[in-house]
Amino acid sequence: MESRGLDFVVLNQGFVSVNGRVLEHEAEGNALLSELYRGHIGDWPKFFKMDTLSKAGFVATELLLKEIGEPRCGSEEFIRSRAIVLFGSTASLCADRNYQETIQDKDNYYPSPALFVYTLPNIVTGEIAIRNHWRGESSFYVLETPDVEQMAFHLACAFQDNDTESILAGWVDSTMNDDFQAFMTVIRKEDVADVDRLAAQLQLIINDLNN
Amino acid sequence: MEELILKLKQEIIEVLNLEDVKPEDIDNDAPLFGEGLGLDSIDALELIVLMEKNYGIKLQDPAKGKEIFKSINVMADFIQKNRTR
Repeated sequence: MESRGLDFVVLNQGFVSVNGRVLEHEAEGNALLSELYRGHIGDWPKFFKMDTLSKAGFVATELLLKEIGEPRCGSEEFIRSRAIVLFGSTASLCADRNYQETIQDKDNYYPSPALFVYTLPNIVTGEIAIRNHWRGESSFYVLETPDVEQMAFHLACAFQDNDTESILAGWVDSTMNDDFQAFMTVIRKEDVADVDRLAAQLQLIINDLNN
Repeated sequence: MEELILKLKQEIIEVLNLEDVKPEDIDNDAPLFGEGLGLDSIDALELIVLMEKNYGIKLQDPAKGKEIFKSINVMADFIQKNRTR
């Protein structure tokens, strides 16, 4: 397999791989995320309260950090210098739909606070930051498609402050509760020295996601 | 009352997505927030919605939730006395 030079996790409703190694699983759809949580994570009950977008981002991140062997709580300097920059095309549409169902019927109008809190796409970045105690920048960009050149550009820009030393970066998207896709990787300053090369690396990961 | 307590536990587990919790795991006298089930402020709002939706109880002052949600026993007792459905 061609080396991408980046550690990465790819997952969708029926497929999971870590650095190109396929993870065996039984469930599909949202149940796959629960299976991965129970089999590989298991110490964060708040997972079950998350929307599908956050679950997918959370699980992909956990699998990636486990693969890299990064300690949960790094030094103060580290947690301040780790940013999160995610991309997706449908933002919080799935959570928006779920919430809308609770307010659709005027005779059965019970807005759900637990669903409402996920009606912003950047909540997934917050869930990941809280879990890992990261306090660096966090952003969620909505792109029509996984445009690797735009992604590489935004990632390079994120290093232009005086704090960011590394970025958890990825694509997270969910159109329905059982339909999602995500990839997650960690980008370091040296990776953005050549933005075209970074875009090419991201494209290889996206190819995995689409296969 | 026992029937209401069991039903209430099942409803709480469902509405708060307490996936790995069974009704028998919830102590009737244990605090629901903090040490107990580890619920948070969003869960409290969700419990307020549950009481209105399932029991017709509209909590005018959300601050009262702190007392009402002290434990399953306290919550069930409040529902028994105030339910309209």
